[in-house]
Amino acid sequence: MADAKYKFDPDSLSFDRIKLGYKAILLRSLAYLVGSLLIAALYGFIFAIFVDFPKEKALKREIEQMTLQYSLMQKDMEVLEKVIDHLQQTDDNLYRAIFEAEPVPSTLRTGGTGGVNRYKDMDGFDNSYIVIETARRLDRIRKQVYMQSISFDELIMLAKEKEEMLRSIPAIMPISNKDLTRTASGFGLRIHPIYKIIKFHSGMDFTAPSGTEIYATGNGVVASVQSSMRGLGNHIIIDHGFGYTSLYAHLDRFNVKKGQKVKRGDVIGFVGNTGMSVAPHLHYEIKLNSVAVDPVNYYFNDLTAEEYEKMIEIASKTGQSFD
Amino acid sequence: MHNRHYFLDLNDLQFKQVRLPFKARVGRFLVWFSLSIAVAVLYGFIFHQIFGSPKDRILSQELENIRLRYSLLEMQHDRSLEILDEIRISDDLLYRPLLDMDTIPSSIRKPGIGGIDRFGDLYGYNHSEMMIRFRARTEEIRNRINVQMESFRTVEERKNEWKREMEYLPYISPVNPIYRLGDGVKFREVHPVLGTPQWHHGQDFNTPYGTEVYATGAGRVIKAGWSTGGFGNYLVIDHGYGFQTTYGHLSSIKVTQGMNVKRGDLVGLSGSSGTSSGPHLHYQIDLYGKHKNPLYYFNNDLNEEEYFEMIQTLSSRSIFR
Repeated sequence: MADAKYKFDPDSLSFDRIKLGYKAILLRSLAYLVGSLLIAALYGFIFAIFVDFPKEKALKREIEQMTLQYSLMQKDMEVLEKVIDHLQQTDDNLYRAIFEAEPVPSTLRTGGTGGVNRYKDMDGFDNSYIVIETARRLDRIRKQVYMQSISFDELIMLAKEKEEMLRSIPAIMPISNKDLTRTASGFGLRIHPIYKIIKFHSGMDFTAPSGTEIYATGNGVVASVQSSMRGLGNHIIIDHGFGYTSLYAHLDRFNVKKGQKVKRGDVIGFVGNTGMSVAPHLHYEIKLNSVAVDPVNYYFNDLTAEEYEKMIEIASKTGQSFD
Repeated sequence: MHNRHYFLDLNDLQFKQVRLPFKARVGRFLVWFSLSIAVAVLYGFIFHQIFGSPKDRILSQELENIRLRYSLLEMQHDRSLEILDEIRISDDLLYRPLLDMDTIPSSIRKPGIGGIDRFGDLYGYNHSEMMIRFRARTEEIRNRINVQMESFRTVEERKNEWKREMEYLPYISPVNPIYRLGDGVKFREVHPVLGTPQWHHGQDFNTPYGTEVYATGAGRVIKAGWSTGGFGNYLVIDHGYGFQTTYGHLSSIKVTQGMNVKRGDLVGLSGSSGTSSGPHLHYQIDLYGKHKNPLYYFNNDLNEEEYFEMIQTLSSRSIFR
């Protein structure tokens, strides 16, 4: 009872005992709750400003380091990409100088020097790079898929009908030519490296280091193995039958003898620089009924449709032959 | 006034205002304060349990952003490496074989990245491995660029040399190809004029008197005049690389000693001067003083029209490009 509290009522001039109603109690506890929440938030805020939890500390440290590293590497890459750009130009210039032709633009080099930037409208946004890069990759995959989808049905049909003929006629490249980078000069009118005039180039040139293996491109009989210091240099002619002969010139060494039967893929000799040749290369020629034909049409055993397309592009673009 | 609380003092039965001494007030404040902290912690705990720490979330978000930027960087890396690979392929498989240079061993192009301490500052993080991987890749790219630049420098040099060589070496026929070839390099039992057995060290072209003779490669005229050795009016061109060509029995010499000529330049007219039994051109190629068969150094694959088109093209070109 001693704790009971009173309030002075100035109207009635009497002390009234303070009694809290149910409502007042509710109100008051609500006020306490809100008050305590506010205070808790205030404390939390102050606490957060001055003190980090260890986990947060670690996170912050991590982020700092990662951001630092990122910006360092980003700067590095900016410089490096410029250098790579420069390297690409050197590459192109070397190509121009050696082959007297415009380099075949690579899929990677879109937007580079000279090429048309197909992804221009994607440029200039925050995440442009990621969008462009993804689009580029997608394009490449799409192209590959398209090329793959062109069917070989007709060829398979042909193969079944004319197996023997298909085994005999030249149908592969005479040297291993992964990535097709060894294609140096195609069939047709080319600038002669010495004469500097346009001359008909009756075969296809492949660049390869001296000593690279040369394969028979179809089954047949070695019709001629000739050592010479002139013109074609050391060269081999294979008679495939069905009107086809193939010629391999400027060889370093032979691996077959005249009259020998060879199968497609047999090593018949090695690349060299003999005869009138300005660089180590293989001059490869196919004749059908004694008329030189474009060898690019005779690689169907080797190439996928996409590679074939690329091969044709390379072969048609080269400006200079090597003999 | 209104808010003042009173209590009934039972000792004297008087209402007295509730007044707390200072000490009690401090005590009460302290109690309140510690209570509020306790409540705050409780709230914080509950909040954390339900929503997680907001700061954590902000930081995690930031981390996620950085990770995104790293994946961008990765794309840049990929692209750079792909391009470098492409350049490497054309370098190794195209230029070097063609220019008769060795390819660069892959051990130089891709050296093992050694040294553990190089990334010492990156250890001890959750993403240490990732950062190290990125740094290593950046280093790899830098390294490959350096190798490629050095490689291209030598390729470029060799290419210039190759181009120069092609201009200088005696690689064409000195006269219109319609003229028949006479004696080649062989041992002649009977020299047509002297009647004695002798080696013939050059290739003869059966040309009528006054046929134009062209330099077969660029070089410097080191002799032009009368030969004491039977070549009559003759000239010698030094092509460098050990090559010298001799043009003998001329009726007229169109160049002087010391003159620089390029392939396709008119150097003289054929004749029958010196020890000669009839009009012809004696053409000889020497490599480091040894006689070579000139037939090995040109192809008879041009007709008259093409030959003169070539001469015209060549003479309009400057070798100093």
